[in-house]
Amino acid sequence: MLNKIKEMKEKMSPYLLLTPFLFWLVVFFGYAFFRAFYFSFTDYNLFNEANFIGLGNYIKLFNEYLFGRALKNTITFSVIVTTVQTFIALVLAVILNQKIKGIKIFRTIYYLPSITSSVVITLIFMWIFQKQGIFNYLLTLFNRYQEYVLLFLTIFILTHLFMVLKEKFLKRPVKVLEPSYIVLSLIIATFAALGVNFFGIIGIREVADVETIWLNTREMIPAWAGPFAFPRPLAAIMLLNIWTTVPTMMILYLAGLQDIPGALYEAAEVDGATTWQKFWKITVPQLKHITFLVMTMGFIGTLQMFDQVAIIGGQAPLESTVTLAYYVYVNMFPSSARPAVGLASAAAMILAILTLIFVYLQRRITGEGRE
Amino acid sequence: MKKVLVLTLAVFLTLTIVGTAAAQTEVRIAGFGGNDQAIVEELIARFVQPELEGEIEVVYEPVADNFQQVLLNSLSAGTAADLFYMDIFWAQSLIDNGLVEPLNDYLAESEVLKRDDIVENLIDGFTYDDQVYGIPKDFNSLALFYNKDLFDIAGVEYPSDDDTWMEFEEKIAAVSDFSEDFEGLAIAPSFERMGAFSYATGWQDFDEQGNTNLLDDRFVHSFEWYTGLEQEGHAILPADMGADWAGGAFANGNVAAAIEGAWVIGFLRDQAPNLNYGAAKLPVYPGTDERGNFIYTVSWSMNAESEVKDEAFRVMELLTSPEAQQWVLERGLAIPSRKELADNEYFKQDSKEAQANLTVFESASDGHVYPYEFGEYGAEWMQPINTALTEVMTDQMSAEEALEEAQERMERDVLN
Repeated sequence: MLNKIKEMKEKMSPYLLLTPFLFWLVVFFGYAFFRAFYFSFTDYNLFNEANFIGLGNYIKLFNEYLFGRALKNTITFSVIVTTVQTFIALVLAVILNQKIKGIKIFRTIYYLPSITSSVVITLIFMWIFQKQGIFNYLLTLFNRYQEYVLLFLTIFILTHLFMVLKEKFLKRPVKVLEPSYIVLSLIIATFAALGVNFFGIIGIREVADVETIWLNTREMIPAWAGPFAFPRPLAAIMLLNIWTTVPTMMILYLAGLQDIPGALYEAAEVDGATTWQKFWKITVPQLKHITFLVMTMGFIGTLQMFDQVAIIGGQAPLESTVTLAYYVYVNMFPSSARPAVGLASAAAMILAILTLIFVYLQRRITGEGRE
Repeated sequence: MKKVLVLTLAVFLTLTIVGTAAAQTEVRIAGFGGNDQAIVEELIARFVQPELEGEIEVVYEPVADNFQQVLLNSLSAGTAADLFYMDIFWAQSLIDNGLVEPLNDYLAESEVLKRDDIVENLIDGFTYDDQVYGIPKDFNSLALFYNKDLFDIAGVEYPSDDDTWMEFEEKIAAVSDFSEDFEGLAIAPSFERMGAFSYATGWQDFDEQGNTNLLDDRFVHSFEWYTGLEQEGHAILPADMGADWAGGAFANGNVAAAIEGAWVIGFLRDQAPNLNYGAAKLPVYPGTDERGNFIYTVSWSMNAESEVKDEAFRVMELLTSPEAQQWVLERGLAIPSRKELADNEYFKQDSKEAQANLTVFESASDGHVYPYEFGEYGAEWMQPINTALTEVMTDQMSAEEALEEAQERMERDVLN
């Protein structure tokens, strides 16, 4: 008898341990989800009886201009940000995986953007992207010193190529990106630029200040992409998002890189592989499961992006920055009209379906996560 | 041990029951947080609670942020306060949903509070179908605040209450052209300010059918004049000076004028105490010889689901009593809504604050004055106009194109 009770206790203990989290999950996610699902088929506005109107909300959604923009913005944002941040995170992780002195300091510094508050960062970026902000100022400076920069780059590349090719001609072993030659070329190019300035051969150009409006505009970039262009304020938010999320993904990749056996790299070197080949043929395939994780998290996170749009608020036209999550918010809490709970719930359902589709597609394409 | 436990529980239970039975009626009120909180607490301590000692206990529940959303949520959940602030901007949606108690019967029986005690324009804003739904506690409207020192240096006459739009434009042009460091008028690219000028032409937001026509000649004229000020260099956008709003730009000290309400007085008291400013009424439109203005007002309203309505009305009477409003006025905190206070001693003082408050008070009854609200559309209604204003003032579009697009959007998105 006692044995049986002990057995029961053992079987029940995992469920008991799960109860608190399960309770929270069921109430705040399960119940909320099913209520939202129910509301999406009604015309509830918080104060009336919820009348069933079938698919009326969904049809109304697809007729709304703002919803169309939100959908387009969300998909563009999600695709671009996820791919770019995955790629940059991978490259950064590989770079930060070298065993050189002080690499840990760099890892810390590169990780900082992820732990800062997104509200604070958005506010600061709003300042940077003002019409007379720092970003435009830097662009103006670049325009003014354009000829110097061009000259500097040309001389740098030419001297470096000259020295490398000379060595290759003499059949001596030399890497394309030989560090000592790079440094030498930089020094020569600097002197050349300074000398040209001293002798007044080229001067600083008089250019009008760059006053591109980054935030308060409805223009699309790139202009030549037609229907595939996205609004400029959204581009600013993309930059912001990539910058803050890359470090988190980079950490995941770093962890994955530790698992790759060094023997693979040594074998490749023996076979004469270049750094480029090592990267593409060994590192990337070995990190496939991490890439799957990073992309899934990336998609889910970017599809629900809300806080940056809310903070930028009135600084940019609504249709240029609205995402599905913000669209739901705007319909739930309109500034003075009645809350359109049914419409907002329908939009939220669409967002959920979209997320499912994205993750499913991504799983099919990378063929991962099935084990 | 068990017996002691049961005994203690029994004692506590009895105490609670006795305690609740002897409790006073509780009236809960909800207002904004921030600066407002200290004011309302003072009002309650001085004018309300002493009169109601022993009968009614007033509990003040300030809402720190997002007042409208919190109020909507609490009304929906049935836990809202008995009396709450109702901003005229979103009043209609609450009234349409039957959430606010109509006050005509209470006003008829009251001895100290009558409909006629309050300034006409204000109480009309809260009257729907001849029923009053809120008692305005104070109000604000726009005035022209100008920097006297800059005008003196430039040798230009101060803006006067009789200036027309053109005369006003000349004056600020003269100041802004006088020196490179001086700016003319700080204007916001929003209907929140331009609307006052549009109303002066006789244009109205909605016609009888409830449609908006942005291509009406009068509106176009006001739009082109307003944006023209910036395009000609007589006016500057606050964002281009690194300020959030026109008041913030005005506090810098190198801007000749700004169009703001009396709320800027408190702001300037803290941020720019030495700024020598004056206030004039908004300029007059020559075509109609009238000026226009907005009324910003918040009322005390009663929850339709309240269980202590009579007691709540008693508290409302005390909160809007002449003594309470006078106290608020004397501290320069807000402009009273009672007509009788128009002749108050405070307005006769010579200080810049008192005179500015007087100008704002008088502006509310002068010309085509409309409450700052847009029916069931709310802020969404202003969106197409604001987008058009921004695009013209940042040189992205011409006025004609911007207005046509605004009308399209208005019809497609807002008035559907």
